[in-house]
Amino acid sequence: MANLTNLYDVSKCTACRGCQVACKDWNQLPAVIEPFKGNYQTHKDTNGDTFTIVKFMEYEDPVDGVQWNFLKYQCMHCFDPACMKVCPRQAYSKTEWGATFHDPDKCIGCQYCTYACPFEVPKYREREDKITKCTLCVDRVEAGLTPACARTCPTGALTFGPRDELLQVAEERVKFLRVNGFPNATIYGKLELGGLNKLYVLTDTPDKFDLPVNPKVSGNTVFWQDWIQPYFGWLIPLALAGSATSFITTRILANKHGAHGEGGHE
Amino acid sequence: MALIPEYRADVPRVERFNFLARFSHWGHTVTFLLCLFTGLVLFLDGVNWLAAIFGGYAGAGLVHRIAAVGMTIVIVIGGVFGFKGVIEWIKDLLRFGKNDIIFVMKFPLEFLGFPVKMPPQTRFNGGEKGNSMLTPTSVMLLVLSGYIMWFPAIFPGGLVRVAYWTHDIAMVLATFMVCMHGYLGSFHPGSGESFWGMWKGTVRADWAQHHHAIWYEEAYGDKDQDKTE
Repeated sequence: MANLTNLYDVSKCTACRGCQVACKDWNQLPAVIEPFKGNYQTHKDTNGDTFTIVKFMEYEDPVDGVQWNFLKYQCMHCFDPACMKVCPRQAYSKTEWGATFHDPDKCIGCQYCTYACPFEVPKYREREDKITKCTLCVDRVEAGLTPACARTCPTGALTFGPRDELLQVAEERVKFLRVNGFPNATIYGKLELGGLNKLYVLTDTPDKFDLPVNPKVSGNTVFWQDWIQPYFGWLIPLALAGSATSFITTRILANKHGAHGEGGHE
Repeated sequence: MALIPEYRADVPRVERFNFLARFSHWGHTVTFLLCLFTGLVLFLDGVNWLAAIFGGYAGAGLVHRIAAVGMTIVIVIGGVFGFKGVIEWIKDLLRFGKNDIIFVMKFPLEFLGFPVKMPPQTRFNGGEKGNSMLTPTSVMLLVLSGYIMWFPAIFPGGLVRVAYWTHDIAMVLATFMVCMHGYLGSFHPGSGESFWGMWKGTVRADWAQHHHAIWYEEAYGDKDQDKTE
């Protein structure tokens, strides 16, 4: 099955945050009220009850004055997700159409995934001692619907469909933007981390949108998962086997060479 | 052959470990083993039966944290009230020298049961010195990385990622040492009295003289001249 994905075109986004509300509505997430922090962004980051946010990035352009960049931010549904790799309970799985699904019933709230994720997207929900994140509306998509965020978007900034088709749309759009006042326009999610199941059309370089330019799974996580976890633990059975061997050989040799003295060997 | 030599109250005995040392030792034993088995639930994949013993994964996580706090308390009590003993312990470890290296080199033969003549040892022999350095270091790393993993939100993300593999490495090293230590301190025939040294606090004087000649001479030599051969 072809990958189904969201395409988010920032050049069409008005930051109405309808997607944020629709997400809360469909996933039955309670409101999380954070204090005002000096800009229009509702939440500092995604959290246990907020799967998606619209980020507001202000910057001062010498010619055009104060400008805004908007970015809908949520789980990127990586093709090769680090969260899935580190999860000790196999709570993560990939659907055949590309969503990274997290099963709360298996989750034990260890938060390994939060720190393995290059975007630090999986968030801890304290009241349940579990991790939560965007599901790419698995339940809706598998029932033939589009994700809540894409369905509600009034400007067409968010669309949903087969990834290869949306990639073509994105490429056309980037070409158009580049000759129409956005020379740095680019696609995000096509190649990053081996491909993301979320596509972005950005009007400027990713760093202007608070996205990692070259996202990477931390070397610490790779070292931990690829070297320590599979091999290092064998030292323990080695110690047990060594003790068992010694337990037998010491007793065989004691018979041969004569027993140890009462207080130990003499 | 008995698994452990019989405790003999009728022969001259000398103190090896005071109450606080024994309290710390067995306090660590209980809390470490609880942490180990609840922790293995996550380290080994698919050991649901092990998790079930502690009431499932959440239960194992709770026991792990309670035991970890218990271990911290044992460390603090041992470190504060037994400060003098800890310093003496460290001083003995710093005496690691030629005799200890010879001991460690010859030890594999002794481990398997071949008769070996060992050079005189201080209070802790070469192998015990190694264990005394590696295991407490691992436990310190386990405690520090453990609290970082428990409260990741108050630490920088990079430190949390380091804590994950540190916790695993320290756990494997400590468990390796604990397996060897548990066996050598009990069922290994050459260890003899050492179990009683940690359980009752005293060992047979003749055993101490044979296994830890330097320590015995320094600690009890003057008082027990008549008993030496």
